[in-house]
Amino acid sequence: MDKNSVIQSLQPIFRDVLDLPELQLTAESNGSNVEEWDSLSHINLVVAIEKRYNIKFALGELQDLKNVGDMADLIIRKTQR
Amino acid sequence: MQAYCWSDLSVGMNAQFRVRLTAEAIWQFSCLSGDTNPLHLDEQFARAAGFRSQVAFGLLTSSYYSQLVGVHLPGKWTLLHGLVVEFKAPAYSGDELTVFGEIVHMTEAYRRLEVKAQISRDNVVISKATIQAGVREP
Repeated sequence: MDKNSVIQSLQPIFRDVLDLPELQLTAESNGSNVEEWDSLSHINLVVAIEKRYNIKFALGELQDLKNVGDMADLIIRKTQR
Repeated sequence: MQAYCWSDLSVGMNAQFRVRLTAEAIWQFSCLSGDTNPLHLDEQFARAAGFRSQVAFGLLTSSYYSQLVGVHLPGKWTLLHGLVVEFKAPAYSGDELTVFGEIVHMTEAYRRLEVKAQISRDNVVISKATIQAGVREP
């Protein structure tokens, strides 16, 4: 699973949770440049991603993330364990 | 009131309580919400629309989902984050309702529960809900 394919698989999750059907997710997408991505929707995104990949995040892992690219890297690390 | 901490909780835990829906509660909800639609308050109007009597407000019966998480599971230390409800059948004054919920997912990082819940009368499902609730430290 490479980074781009993970970002592509995240796109429908983000579109659904943020209710932005036209959203084009990139590695640089983050809470500052995607509308509707607030603190509560961030929790909803994490919950949806945990379910999608059957993984569990620790708070410390999430606090270091700066954008969707970082999230994709973290997903790859956790699913390869 | 229950007061479960995060560490007390696990997927599969569940809670249930029963509540009788009263005409007074329906009237009080109308006053609180300002919803005076006759389907909920006028028996003749409701019968003419095909119901056996006034239909209880869906948001009144759904308010028992608030009691479910706020009082029973997990109780004292929770804060409701979200609620998605599907109404399946009408409820009426005098109905004895059973409210049931079960934890189906726990997000450790943000101490967020997901509870699948339903309200039923005998074997009739009145509504189903997905509830998101945070759990604070005592």
